[in-house]
Amino acid sequence: MNEDNHIVKSYGEELQLLTDSIIQMGSLTESLMLDSIKAITIIDKEAVGRIVESDKKINQYRSKIDTQIMTILVKRAPMAIDLRVAITALRISQDLERIGDLAKGNAKKILPWPENLPEELLKSFNRLGSLVSEQLNKVIDSYIKKSKDIAIEVIHADGNVNDLAYSSIKEALSFLSKDIKHLEFATNLLFVGKNLERAGDHITRIAENIYYLAEGEYYKNK
Amino acid sequence: MDLNMDNKIKIKSNNLNVFYGQKQALFDINLEINQNEVTALIGPSGCGKSTFIRCINRMNDVIDICRMEGQIQIDDKNIYDPGVDVVQLREKVGMVFQKPNPFPKSIYENVSYGPKIHGIGESKDDLDQIVENSLKKAALWNEVKDRLEEPGTSLSGGQQQRLCIARAISVNPEIILMDEPCSALDPIATAKIEELIDELKKTFTIVIVTHSMAQAVRVSQKTGFFHMGKIIEVGTTEQIFKNPTNNMTQDYITGRFG
Repeated sequence: MNEDNHIVKSYGEELQLLTDSIIQMGSLTESLMLDSIKAITIIDKEAVGRIVESDKKINQYRSKIDTQIMTILVKRAPMAIDLRVAITALRISQDLERIGDLAKGNAKKILPWPENLPEELLKSFNRLGSLVSEQLNKVIDSYIKKSKDIAIEVIHADGNVNDLAYSSIKEALSFLSKDIKHLEFATNLLFVGKNLERAGDHITRIAENIYYLAEGEYYKNK
Repeated sequence: MDLNMDNKIKIKSNNLNVFYGQKQALFDINLEINQNEVTALIGPSGCGKSTFIRCINRMNDVIDICRMEGQIQIDDKNIYDPGVDVVQLREKVGMVFQKPNPFPKSIYENVSYGPKIHGIGESKDDLDQIVENSLKKAALWNEVKDRLEEPGTSLSGGQQQRLCIARAISVNPEIILMDEPCSALDPIATAKIEELIDELKKTFTIVIVTHSMAQAVRVSQKTGFFHMGKIIEVGTTEQIFKNPTNNMTQDYITGRFG
């Protein structure tokens, strides 16, 4: 069953446009996340302005999607699968916006960093960032394919994100404990780890919503 | 969801088949309708939902070419048993139609006529009381109490429909059948009827045929989807409209029906 075989064609088109908006917003968020991680890994302070601008675009998508959903609710009073398309789009766009905020926040945190941070320390945050990006990529893929199986994989892999986040934070703490002059930026580094872990949680929520979209019931994590 | 799973089954159809001449209109309908609940029947035109509710008060009996097999039980008794008095049955099972159809008589007489012929109200005082109570239950009393002698047809469409509901409940039925009761009404009159249905279900068992999905969601606790004379899916209204199990139900309620 597709969104596009409604008797009223424009209804199907509206739902398709909404789905497209979510996919576009998701791709933008994914690029932002990758840019943000790259900026952190190589301490590219010039990238920060660009990242802040991309985040604004993501926020605009959120407003646009809100309007699309309201229009569908008012005009069509959607039922069953159509209702789930609308409701999950509302929730997913909120999570994507938050992921964008977190990625932007992370990028801004590098501004006070010195250029000579230990490579090992940054590598561990890079690994965490790559895993989060991979999760984000997968969750958008599962939305495009309406695949509950990929969504379940994403949900289960969130534990790995948490583990990696904690080990990265630990490394940052041990670096911090070596010299009190690292205090300011190493604290920022802790936030980066925490933010990536939070982004992971939002990705999990998106995956849970995709499961709900596909199945009509909530995923019960055993 | 206020669906009471322990609710008693009020109406039960067992392998109901209905034919109009050679044409079969209903196929093996098995459906249970709970007491003091609103059950909505949905489906495209000609799917058999009206035929089904007309079986519940044996309205189809008056159609010569109509023939039925199977059973409809009310309180576990087959209403098609030879001993059943159809007049008594219809006293128990009231009906409200698509278009308001008051008798060409006064508002008072519209409501008192039923009790009178069924011998329910003995004296004028009794009838006065029945008329007042019925009009109150139908949420019409305050609007008509000073003009009871005016013709029923002088009321607005929405008021006429509530008058028909008052007429139906004046004989103390147990079941009220409603065949698209709001399709000829404006949104305000519809809202009043829907509010009334919610109130009436405390006393009566209600079966409503509706073409408005939104109305089915608003007023009913259970929904049955009919298609081409067959019952395709029955479930709690919440389940049917949020997550139907049958693709045909989903296609119909989401406007994808081919």
